[in-house]
Amino acid sequence: MGGSRTDNDDLLEKFKNLDFMKMDRRTFIKAVGVLGASLFLQTYKNDLAKALEFSETKVVWLHGVMDSGCTISMLDGGSPDIIEFLQEYNLKLLYHEVLMMQQGIFVDGKLANTSDLNSEIVLDDILEKEKGYVLVSEGAISNGPEGSGKYLMLGGRTYKEIYAKAAKNALAIVAIGNCATNGGVNSAKSDIVELMDPRGVAFTMEDASKGILDLLGIEKPVINLTGCPTHPDWVFLTIGAVVLGKIKIPDDLPYVLDHWKRPKVFFPPDHVIHDNCSRRGYYDRGEFELTVGGPKCLWKLGCKGPYTHADCATRNWNGHLNYCPQAGSPCIGCVQPGFPDSTRPFFVEFEKTGIVGTNITTIAGVAIGGALLAAGAHAVRRTAMKRPEDEGGLAEESTPEEIEEETGGEK
Amino acid sequence: MVQVTVDPLTRIEGHYRINTEVNEEGVITDAQSNGLQLRGFERLLQHQDPRDASLLSQRICGVCPVSHGIAAANALDDLFGVAGEVPIDGLLMRNVHQALNFIASHAAHIYLLWGPDLANPAYRDILAKYGDVGNAVWKELQGRFAPLIYQLDGTSYPAGSSYLGSIVEFRRLHEAISLIASKMPHPVLQHVGGVVYSPTVADIGQILSYITKTMEFVEAFTLGVSPDIWIENTYRASSPQKAANFVLNHLQELLNKSLDNKDFSHSAGWGDVPLFAAFGSELIGEKLLGLPISMKMDLAGTYKDPGKIGFLSYGVFFKPENGNGYDPTSPADSRVISSGYMNGYFKLEKFDYKKISESINHSFYIDDVKDRPPWNGVTVPEGNPENIDYTKGSKSRYSWTKAPHYDGIPCEVGPLARMIIMGEPLVTGLVKTFQDNGYYPVNNYTRMIARMQEILVVVPELTKWLTQDIQAGGKVAVHTDLSMAKSSTGMGLWEAPRGALGHWVATGPDSMVTLYQAVVPSTWNLAPRNSQEIPSPVEQALIGTKISAAENALGVDYSNPLGILHTARSYDPCLACAVHTIDKTGKHPDYIIKVL
Repeated sequence: MGGSRTDNDDLLEKFKNLDFMKMDRRTFIKAVGVLGASLFLQTYKNDLAKALEFSETKVVWLHGVMDSGCTISMLDGGSPDIIEFLQEYNLKLLYHEVLMMQQGIFVDGKLANTSDLNSEIVLDDILEKEKGYVLVSEGAISNGPEGSGKYLMLGGRTYKEIYAKAAKNALAIVAIGNCATNGGVNSAKSDIVELMDPRGVAFTMEDASKGILDLLGIEKPVINLTGCPTHPDWVFLTIGAVVLGKIKIPDDLPYVLDHWKRPKVFFPPDHVIHDNCSRRGYYDRGEFELTVGGPKCLWKLGCKGPYTHADCATRNWNGHLNYCPQAGSPCIGCVQPGFPDSTRPFFVEFEKTGIVGTNITTIAGVAIGGALLAAGAHAVRRTAMKRPEDEGGLAEESTPEEIEEETGGEK
Repeated sequence: MVQVTVDPLTRIEGHYRINTEVNEEGVITDAQSNGLQLRGFERLLQHQDPRDASLLSQRICGVCPVSHGIAAANALDDLFGVAGEVPIDGLLMRNVHQALNFIASHAAHIYLLWGPDLANPAYRDILAKYGDVGNAVWKELQGRFAPLIYQLDGTSYPAGSSYLGSIVEFRRLHEAISLIASKMPHPVLQHVGGVVYSPTVADIGQILSYITKTMEFVEAFTLGVSPDIWIENTYRASSPQKAANFVLNHLQELLNKSLDNKDFSHSAGWGDVPLFAAFGSELIGEKLLGLPISMKMDLAGTYKDPGKIGFLSYGVFFKPENGNGYDPTSPADSRVISSGYMNGYFKLEKFDYKKISESINHSFYIDDVKDRPPWNGVTVPEGNPENIDYTKGSKSRYSWTKAPHYDGIPCEVGPLARMIIMGEPLVTGLVKTFQDNGYYPVNNYTRMIARMQEILVVVPELTKWLTQDIQAGGKVAVHTDLSMAKSSTGMGLWEAPRGALGHWVATGPDSMVTLYQAVVPSTWNLAPRNSQEIPSPVEQALIGTKISAAENALGVDYSNPLGILHTARSYDPCLACAVHTIDKTGKHPDYIIKVL
């Protein structure tokens, strides 16, 4: 959504007057993007209730190698919050290690008590009996050492083994946070990363051949919601769209996802954080901070906002209050698939470094951005930011005009 | 002998297992604490720009990223040689940031992680022995503390009122953090030389408004009385005895009112803390208040040999009266919650960072030297899958966690350690009350009371920093450039909500990191045995504890091991923090950081 505030205002009015039940998938995606989660739910509350007259959708939430940051981020979701999210979309959360009463209990090596208290009985039931659930994946999957998966074991078995079973029977996998989508910090370059061999679901760092699903020989639709952590709106609204049938799995995925398997509405290929940055005016005037603590543009302190595709600057975080550059920090590109290798060192200007793991088109984009910067050009985003959907051969995002056509016609 | 294993222990951060041997009387006779995952965190900081550490090391933990960010920034200040110059407003911003995280993290532990065990059906049956009063108390426990996924006899029940309310407050506190630090988790405020954001008057006003709203929850749900009255009579009490008496008298008044009408609701004044304080302890509830029944949490999670346990705090929150800068090596003199070491008999000593060491005898690491100080840390993870086996007992290697110790003694870290070391009146008064009555005062009951009390200790300090000390728009950082980090070392000592947290960093001639090490709270609390074969705090606390609820009040039930659950969770485990590794390749095996 490259549109300005004014475009959004017009769209907002338009969406408010639309019949939710007749809304097609692309319009739905646009609507949640433009209205935001809270307003969307308010606007369509009654329609949602009607749409949900089908049976509940089950959700299984697994934690691999991670720091629980995405679970914490989900608890911070305010619009909707996690409870509203489960209720509004008629979801039944079957398993979530942080939010459940149960834990694994073994007496002399055998499972004890009932599923009221024993999480391993709950998990076994899911792995053996359940089908068609949404699998929310938080955290990377340990493959090391030597492909054994023993660097993370739960209930006496490897997480890799649990994950393989859970993935096989899922309707779709929603990977949340960079650990799950791309291996995250666990997969960052180090002297022992090959030994540990942590994997993302469909990618490891920027490598699509190294996802754990490929290794396990499992084909499942995957939706990636990157970020360290990921934003609760991104997660709740994406799952909501899947559950409501507004994104049909798997047919619609090629149209709504970018080539990192992320919803384009939240990670727009034609839009970067820099576009709507609150410090943008300073950038346009060529006024830059050279040390931390001031109000000006953070470009020279290493800001990755010009290369980072996410709606942070318009959506904002934690009650939609703030985002990193506004709070004085260079964007560190935590939604980027190669994070942190593709965006560190955090406090060094991009063109001054040979960034590890960054592909050549990114570097080219930076060079163009840099040249234009010298002229103080406002047009940088139009020139430098057109790449991903062009090279990926994926469908273009709808323009506001197209939306008008689609929604006006009520097909 | 029965083997009772909890694997995984849920409602914690990270992945954790506990294995116990339990005798026919239902008493735990041996325990192993197992960290289950390897993340290799510090190694990804190696060979890199050290300034990234204050943001990247936060990814060690999604619950207390702020603490890692500040511990790292403290270490970087030292590394760059600017610790003595960090502007006072930068230090106050670190205080504010950390205080908000303390409150949120404690609230999450009390309500979302630990609290749900109070809704364990064992308490329904135990409390039923106390007739209508007991049934009324059980209804409150279930109605307040049931978690999001909760069923009883196969029927699902809604989440509890306090549980749900705490999520709102947790979110509110994270919103307050985001105002000055962009987002939670993984905020961006911390940086070498200070912080990256200078607050506005509006930010300060808004944060104060958030705190006021959270304190409304504390009054209505947590305490049942005005927090001001509570603080005035406990944290600000003139003696520990007066503080303990205030709470005992308050509980007695509540009981006198409620025993007849059996109303233990929030609206009858039974905040979550009074309900737990009265019914959680045998000494307080049964012996001092005259109840016929209690959950006896003061008998579980104790240390049986005071000669083998210590309590440690690095100190936290800079004192504004000290002005700019701080001394990284002597936190005792410069922190609001002080540093110190207390032995198992509660004798206080001055903290000396040189006495910290970690051993790997029972961990899945390979090293000829079994015990190293953190500034000489080497860790080679076991790479042969066949050698990774948690099930071979106390003499084997059984965890990804190392075993830190202070002068050879394993230490409990966290709110209780901090409160007794700083001499907080209520906790000190409770400790004395337990001692005078023949109880070991460090137990699951006092551990939870201390965590709750620390929230109330932090709030008035936080309010003072915001209203009196901090300068809106003040200078918050000194300038640094990378060359200042050439061939240097740095140490950052701080407290996370769950205990003592230290970061150590060294750089080479190109200013890039040669060694990074974090020794974190859960490594202290949840370690395996150390090189002298002394069990870790949680292992000591489990051994001797009875396996099922309220000292096996309903008989021995190995299949509902509440004794293990309460004790292990009372440390607020954070296992993603606790597992780390340093040097697989041996490129820098003997690198020694010389800390001043």
